[in-house]
Amino acid sequence: MTAQQTLRPVSEVDPALHRARIEEAEQRMRRRGWRRHLPQRGHLVLLPLSIIMVLPFVWMILTSFMTDTEVNSIPPSLWPHHLYTGGYSTVLASSDFPYWFLNSLIVSGAAVLAQLVLCSLAGYAFARIQFRGSTVMLILLLATALIPFQLTVIPTFVIFHDIGLINTLGALIVPQLTSALGIYLMYSFFQSFPRELEEAGRIDGCGRLQVFWKIVLPLARPALAALGIITFIYAWNDLFWPLIAITSSRTFTVQVGLTTFQGEHITHWSAIMAGTTLTTVPVLLVFLVGQRRFVQAITGAVKG
Amino acid sequence: MATTLDEATIARDANRRIRRSGNIAGWAFAGPSVFIVLGLSFIPMIWAAYLSFTDSNLISAGHFIGFANYAALAKDPMLRQAFTNTLLLAVMYLPVGLAAGLGVAILLNQKIKLIGFYRTCFLVPFVASAAAEGILFGFIFDPNFGIVNSAFQAVGLPRQGFLEDPSEALVVLAIVYFWTQFGFNIVIYLAALQDIPEEVLEAASIDGAGKWAKFWHVIVPTLRPVTVFLLVWSLIDVFQFFDLVYTTTRGGPLNSTLTLVYYIWELAFNFFTAGYGAAVAYVLFFTSLIVTVAALTYGRRRRVTL
Amino acid sequence: MKRMVLAGIAALTLVLAACSGSSSSGTSSGKITLQFWTAQTPPTTQVIDNLVSTFNATHPNIVVQASTGGTSTGDLLPKVTTAIAAGTAPDIAYIYGSYAANIAQSGKTVNLANIIHTPGYDWNDFYPASQQIVSPGGKVIGFPALIDNLSVIYNKKLFAAAGVPDPSPNWTWDQFRATAKKLTNPAKHIFGVNYPIGGDLLDTSWRFFPGLWQRGGQILSANHKQALFNSQAGVANLTLWQQMSTVDHSVYLDPTATNAEPLFTSGHLAMFVSGPWEVPVLNQAKVDWADVPLPAVTTNHQTVSGPDNWVIFNNGPARVKASITFLEWLEAPQQELTWSIGSGSLPLRPSILKLPGYQEFLKKWPGIGPMAANLMNAREAMPTLPQWPRVVNALGNGIASVLLGRATPRAALDQAAQQADTILNVPGAPGG
Repeated sequence: MTAQQTLRPVSEVDPALHRARIEEAEQRMRRRGWRRHLPQRGHLVLLPLSIIMVLPFVWMILTSFMTDTEVNSIPPSLWPHHLYTGGYSTVLASSDFPYWFLNSLIVSGAAVLAQLVLCSLAGYAFARIQFRGSTVMLILLLATALIPFQLTVIPTFVIFHDIGLINTLGALIVPQLTSALGIYLMYSFFQSFPRELEEAGRIDGCGRLQVFWKIVLPLARPALAALGIITFIYAWNDLFWPLIAITSSRTFTVQVGLTTFQGEHITHWSAIMAGTTLTTVPVLLVFLVGQRRFVQAITGAVKG
Repeated sequence: MATTLDEATIARDANRRIRRSGNIAGWAFAGPSVFIVLGLSFIPMIWAAYLSFTDSNLISAGHFIGFANYAALAKDPMLRQAFTNTLLLAVMYLPVGLAAGLGVAILLNQKIKLIGFYRTCFLVPFVASAAAEGILFGFIFDPNFGIVNSAFQAVGLPRQGFLEDPSEALVVLAIVYFWTQFGFNIVIYLAALQDIPEEVLEAASIDGAGKWAKFWHVIVPTLRPVTVFLLVWSLIDVFQFFDLVYTTTRGGPLNSTLTLVYYIWELAFNFFTAGYGAAVAYVLFFTSLIVTVAALTYGRRRRVTL
Repeated sequence: MKRMVLAGIAALTLVLAACSGSSSSGTSSGKITLQFWTAQTPPTTQVIDNLVSTFNATHPNIVVQASTGGTSTGDLLPKVTTAIAAGTAPDIAYIYGSYAANIAQSGKTVNLANIIHTPGYDWNDFYPASQQIVSPGGKVIGFPALIDNLSVIYNKKLFAAAGVPDPSPNWTWDQFRATAKKLTNPAKHIFGVNYPIGGDLLDTSWRFFPGLWQRGGQILSANHKQALFNSQAGVANLTLWQQMSTVDHSVYLDPTATNAEPLFTSGHLAMFVSGPWEVPVLNQAKVDWADVPLPAVTTNHQTVSGPDNWVIFNNGPARVKASITFLEWLEAPQQELTWSIGSGSLPLRPSILKLPGYQEFLKKWPGIGPMAANLMNAREAMPTLPQWPRVVNALGNGIASVLLGRATPRAALDQAAQQADTILNVPGAPGG
């Protein structure tokens, strides 16, 4: 952003003031005749567009309740004639889906916890502590985003084999323990964090870790929530590395398991869509619940 | 005189001590993350650099062949196709993705009703996984059973091959990609729009600027840093376009959706030419590095910081 | 919050601890543990798991640990490759025949050439195509795992509805073309026949070979240095399909090589050129189907087989020996019959067709009998060489471009042959 604009940490905004600002803006809008018409026209574009965006998911859920015959008819049925749950029972009963789901939960949960600790520590250090090599390290960290994973997958596999984690959830957790994106997110947040608060803590005689733990972290809760949500979504959706690192079915994650449904010559669409639905619902829930924080996470990284 | 000298020494010592304690604390805080991220990217990078000078097939020790792999790059028709496809994806997606993102963001910035609902709808695709999207769109665009073709037929349009037609597959992937990224662009632009101080817009109004003039002369320049960010972000993302190809077309039909990273994958795992694959990957890495640095430098010259 | 963190750390420690134990395998307390990657998908995993349990129960010194290895046969290859690169190859893995030569190059495989002809192995009781594909460059890297072949599966209802008589086993390619045309019905979305043009270019290429062989053509020269598939025989073969696709519009061009199956089971594809792996699906979908051998130019109904292998990796003499013991047991006719009955795979050994239990197999999998008999028509094998995946890629793209009406058979095959020659002659030549 340009120099005069910096990210305002949410905790800093006084809600009363914020509300007052909105009211003032609304009054201003009411005063101006021409502006009043714009929003109505806006809906003409926004409504159809937003429906198109969610339609595939609606279709996914509908299909998961159709029989294979209904799915494979031309033209396709739009609506399941009765609520067929065979797809779901196929997924849940005759596959290792419950294991996959649990594995994904463990991996994503561990990733969230670890990143909350490690990314905020590192982000804080880069933003607030002057130490040798910090600029170079930060640039190197960000440059890792440019490395194609296809290039590094084999050496990575060798490394994980040497530490004995291949075909374990550990192989999936370790690369997710921290991330360049997460560090950058926290770095941007801490850069705009008011220095006075820390200084107060230091005067009280707290060490750096104490200041961080007792003063900084509690105030960073909104940013941490944002980090947690984005980490969960990324970890839950990861497909490629688990595909390589895991060989036994019961250690699969949901994403890898889902591709087994697409396996050769298997075309039970109701089961595939039931699996896809079950795989997508957790991220959708996390997203819907923490939507505001999620938006902060992705916008926070830009505005830093 | 002596006292001032002493004070200077004390100040210098104190400074040094602070810096040293900063070094220790800084590395203690950042160390674990730096170690994990860099360890898992640069060690493999060096290993891959060595590979790119060998004729390794991954499963047996290769021979050192100097720059032969890099020399072969120029004569490889599939690489040219993968490069063209990747570039086409960028060309199809970038202008539309950014312009549409900005357009919708402006509409949403009108203090419109239902803004929360709209934002949710637009962002939902961004959080779904590539595995799910691949399955979903393979199904929706299925030429025979898919709903899109049925809709086309219902309104009198000819049925299309979509992902199965070499001249359409890449376009369909670009559309799917647009669908997943659209919400992200909107949210980023919207946040930036909300940061434009009301006074700036008011000042423009007082100067008598019309709506379009205000858009071109106030909004667009103010948003340039965000646009540069989105540009860089999208370019990196397009350069690494893999998951959707893997879960839908696997590069076909007729290599029409072969992207650079998918080609690297094929070279290493299907064709047993990992050494050459590593060379291609390195070229890709340096290309994206140059593009990113160029975009950032451009942004910086325009007084942009990311 | 604090409690959550603690619980998380505890969980993480547990997971890591639980995980680190599982990778150990080998000899402990005199027992040999074998890693066996089967690449099977759910219904058949159970069959192989049962066989493995029987083996483990009867062989106290060997413990076979079966796992699927990958999500499907296609995805298994990257995993095996990565595992070989990391030095963690399993003891036995299911590998596509087309990759046999590449895997053999790794130096991590065994060579059983000296022992397979000793008594007890009944090596000649495998089909010739199997024998050849498991022996790239004369090196026997394991045992045959699967055999199949192409035939024409057809939907009897669609034939009856179109008033077309069922195809005769003695039919010709001209009759085949006419039949496909008659069955095609755009208004009802019915296609005459399928041809895969993407997803898996080996699938695109191998169904080109029967017509090539039947016309006296060859794929490669005997020394594997020159592509010969662009001969007159090859052009004539591809021209027939070109005409069907671009003139008659009777061919469903399948971009993923997997779409034809639902099309056939839902009654939108009349003839399905495919193999025995479809039988379980077709019977489950209750399609009224039958199958005939591929058509002939005159009288030769030659088909193609794409056998796959159980490859043994060299993890020390003791484990290799145990792996051989296990596979020898698994491939004994009685176990093979159990496997065939359970999975619907064609019998690996001709002698199984004479076992009394074979009737049970025929009864369990209606329609599979002609496919087993059709193995006799798989007289020639595809080459096994490291460059094969790339040769197939070049040829497959050439075929696809012709069927899509973007090139003539002559031009496309010549170009593919030229690419193949480069691939075959320049060591480590990339691209193509």
